[in-house]
Amino acid sequence: MKRILLLGAVFAGLAMLVGTGCEKKEPGAKPEKKVFRIGLVAKSSTNPVFLAARVGAEAKAAELSKQYGIEVVVDWQTPPKEDAQVQADRIKQLVAGGVDAIILSCSDAKATSGAVNDAVDRGVPVMCFDSDSPESKRFAFHGVDDLETGKAVMKHLARQMGAKGVVAILAGNPNAPNLKKRVEGVREEAKNYPGITIKDVYYHAETPDDAAKMVKTVMDANQDITGWAMVGGWPLFTDALQTNWRAGVKVVAVDALPAQLAYVESGIAPVLLAQKVFDWGYRSVEMTFDKVYLHKDVPERDVATLEVVTKDNLGQWARKLEKWDFKVDPKYLQMK
Amino acid sequence: MGVSAGLVRKILTSQQAGLMIVIVVLATVIAIAAGSQQVVVQQVRNEDGSVTLVKATRNKFLNADVLVGYATNTSVVAIMAVGMAAVIISAGIDLSVGSIYALAAVVGAMVLEYYGPTGSGRDLPIWGTLIGIAATMAAALLCGLINGAGLVALKVHPFIITMGTMLVFRGIAFVSTKARSIGDFPRPTTAMIKTDLGLSNLGIGIGLQPVPMLVMLVIAVLGTLYLSYTVAGRHVYAVGGNPEAARFSGLRTSRVLLSVYVVVGFCAGVAAVVANGLYGAAQCARGEGYELKVIAAAVVGGASLSGGRGTAFGALLGAMLIALIEQGIITLGIDQNYNYIIIGLAIVIAVVLDRLSSRAAERRLSAARQRQIAPAGAATEKGAET
Repeated sequence: MKRILLLGAVFAGLAMLVGTGCEKKEPGAKPEKKVFRIGLVAKSSTNPVFLAARVGAEAKAAELSKQYGIEVVVDWQTPPKEDAQVQADRIKQLVAGGVDAIILSCSDAKATSGAVNDAVDRGVPVMCFDSDSPESKRFAFHGVDDLETGKAVMKHLARQMGAKGVVAILAGNPNAPNLKKRVEGVREEAKNYPGITIKDVYYHAETPDDAAKMVKTVMDANQDITGWAMVGGWPLFTDALQTNWRAGVKVVAVDALPAQLAYVESGIAPVLLAQKVFDWGYRSVEMTFDKVYLHKDVPERDVATLEVVTKDNLGQWARKLEKWDFKVDPKYLQMK
Repeated sequence: MGVSAGLVRKILTSQQAGLMIVIVVLATVIAIAAGSQQVVVQQVRNEDGSVTLVKATRNKFLNADVLVGYATNTSVVAIMAVGMAAVIISAGIDLSVGSIYALAAVVGAMVLEYYGPTGSGRDLPIWGTLIGIAATMAAALLCGLINGAGLVALKVHPFIITMGTMLVFRGIAFVSTKARSIGDFPRPTTAMIKTDLGLSNLGIGIGLQPVPMLVMLVIAVLGTLYLSYTVAGRHVYAVGGNPEAARFSGLRTSRVLLSVYVVVGFCAGVAAVVANGLYGAAQCARGEGYELKVIAAAVVGGASLSGGRGTAFGALLGAMLIALIEQGIITLGIDQNYNYIIIGLAIVIAVVLDRLSSRAAERRLSAARQRQIAPAGAATEKGAET
């Protein structure tokens, strides 16, 4: 018992020592700091789009380090799979660890807004990218307009389908706010095409295998489907849909990562709407540095544009992916 | 005639009879409610490169595309459920099965990528495929061996050991792939799993990939042979039913326990080979949450969590039932938001019906024994009087 009490006293003493040793944070002003740490909390570290965002963030951090003679460090604290609660915990840990700012893509805006607000109240500015938390105290958002993205998916699909047919919507996680908005956009845009009907919205676990399984099952059960509006590109990360795809059924999907390019080549997905995922990290670090370190004004909403990827610019896009640290099939790199 | 009547009686009084009835009834309901639709049964490529679709009116559920697709979707979980049934019969549990599946898949994928069209070993696609399969199976068997050896050597409950290895195996998959999706496999890897075995030429459907279904059936047969017709399999029931009695009767319980975890590892490896061929890529997130699906399939199929009861065939039926419900929700166009509620309730109902049918069978058996004992007892008493 005595030993336990002694150990307790030692730990308490150490904790006090560490506590008094910590410098008090003043929100904002730290231009004299030698290290500028930015916590990066994306949705999932197993999703390649966020790995590209990390590469972008680290690239911009390296540029800024060189330019300003300080060390800009990106502290990658992304949970292995989507879990808003874990994200909230990571934000708290980053704040406790003394980061200068946090950039975040919310798995669930409501579940993370408390942690975001606490961080801001404790002097750590937070910026969102990809998936926003508009009701929180975050200072800015960088990403596509999800409603417009959904509309763009439907617009391109309608063009491919000759403005008539039956469309199924593939929607991933039903709780993700950005995906919900995109689905809303698809539905809204579809109203402009009287010849097109929406079959249903299909949700699934956001792994490529589960998504591909869902598409196949829905296709078999509903032979009238002639188009897929995929608000995320999940099933196209596998080659499962390449075999015996029903002729005439068109896919338009968001994202254009290396594995998806084969679907453009085969004509199954004649159009992919690529998010500039590298820029998620690159631009977020840039905006955060401008706001927090340089005290510049930044736009509250920095809307990213989509890049339309078709057979015509497949090579150009593949080269961009390679620059962003993706491994790309060399045959695409040689295309125009 | 006598043999077939006996076989029918055996099937009807078997542990899985209730489950089979549930599956047949549910499939019939789905087929009736689904109605019919125009189905593409053949795609004919014309000389000018265009494609002509040959259509026919078929039931929306009872058609080759849907049924083979349904079996394909069931295969991965069903294959692992057969191994899980052996573990559960031994009164154990393996929470790491989904992680073994993922780790084996990515280990195999890394080898396959090396021999793929963009890899250094691209000149040896067939050898590459074989080496990739061997690597997948070796990784899965090693994981199973680690689980079995861990619980035998450390004498810790399998729940704890496999919960730990579930995280360790998933973590290794994560670290070794750097969360990258690994694809670009040699062509034979995907071609052997995706082949239609000539079924598409029959004009019954276009997306037929029966190999996963066949692998699933082979594994179920092998599992049945192992559990019901080998001495080693009977030992699994003995150890699970009463470990003390098994030990006192001279069984090496440690060896039996070790073997069942290797068996589930083997099944996860086979599932990983099938999935790599089917999806043409592997990621460390593969099979997240599958452990619960696999355990649910084995339990719905009649495996008792307290051990000593269950079959490989039952696990297959359990997986088929869960997949049938998922298929039914899509075929009938039921709102996806009710998915979890329907599946959860259906699992409970299926298990209750299965248990009721088992109890009725046990009561009938017990009554028959009583009837056999009663006349024998009366005859003995009569003999004593004379």
